Amino acid sequence: MTDFKLVESGKMGRVAYARIAPNEDMVLGIEKLCLAQGFSNAFVRGALGSLVDAGLEASDGSVIEIKGPAVEIVSLAGEVRSDENGTPCASLSGVVADPEGKVYGGPFLLGLNPICVTFEVTLEEWLPDTNETPS
Amino acid sequence: MTPDSIMKRKQPRFLRQPGPFNPVRIKTESSSYGRHIWLFLKPGETLFDAIVNPLTEFNVRAASMTILGGNFENLDYCVAPPDPEGRTVIAYSKPRHAGHSYMIFGNATLGTSIENTPLVHCHAAIRTKNGDVMGGHIVTEQAIVGSKPISVLVTSLEGFELRQAYDEETGISLLQPVEIDHHD
Repeated sequence: MTDFKLVESGKMGRVAYARIAPNEDMVLGIEKLCLAQGFSNAFVRGALGSLVDAGLEASDGSVIEIKGPAVEIVSLAGEVRSDENGTPCASLSGVVADPEGKVYGGPFLLGLNPICVTFEVTLEEWLPDTNETPS
Repeated sequence: MTPDSIMKRKQPRFLRQPGPFNPVRIKTESSSYGRHIWLFLKPGETLFDAIVNPLTEFNVRAASMTILGGNFENLDYCVAPPDPEGRTVIAYSKPRHAGHSYMIFGNATLGTSIENTPLVHCHAAIRTKNGDVMGGHIVTEQAIVGSKPISVLVTSLEGFELRQAYDEETGISLLQPVEIDHHD
């Protein structure tokens, strides 16, 4: 028995693109973008840009700090789901490169990823089917 | 150090930009749908041409792309350290020659430059000819697709454009989403 859904069917909806400005937190920025666009759930379909410094979560829960500037975002994938209060919550994972080009990977931590010059992101809205999925 | 403890005692570092603060922090446009295209990068072409030429034929002028793994005959990339002249907070380095390389994963954006020509902005993780795994800004005009086509998932952006425009706050020309002017 599981207390969570293993499958959720649905379809893709609207597509939003944003440029998020310097010193905004990347994770919060994506969550606010969902608020701005009225997306409850979304997938990150593309993203690139730079961070002042980066903060990734290590397997033991500690913080991997990558010093910039700039730390380049070289790949990013993620999802946004809204909680019971309608607050969008982003889970983002990716690879970044430090000013020497050395790469690091992991989940991005809320509040520790300030944008350096620009952050370009494309979100695709996820619209779950309203019918219950088979259990 | 746990994430909780560092959040309590550490403020993320902010940088003072050279220009006036723009109160619009999230500039966004959206459309009711996105077209999806499975693009194959043509062997021997530059990454720029292999993206721009087929997408222009499909009338795609703005897109977000995921470049799946593949070999390149040549890759050059830049990193972005602080601007030595101090005019902007960072500046791209001179291109670094990675040579015959494997692109592990890349993201790219297609838009329109200030000169009204196609512009491709690409960041990627690569394995260089020496075996080093590196990442940065890919010089798309110098990247030569290897002998096998490389798959790209394209999400076209419909109903608005991505235009390079001078950004006063950062002092750098950046891609920005803008509504299509239907009065041309």
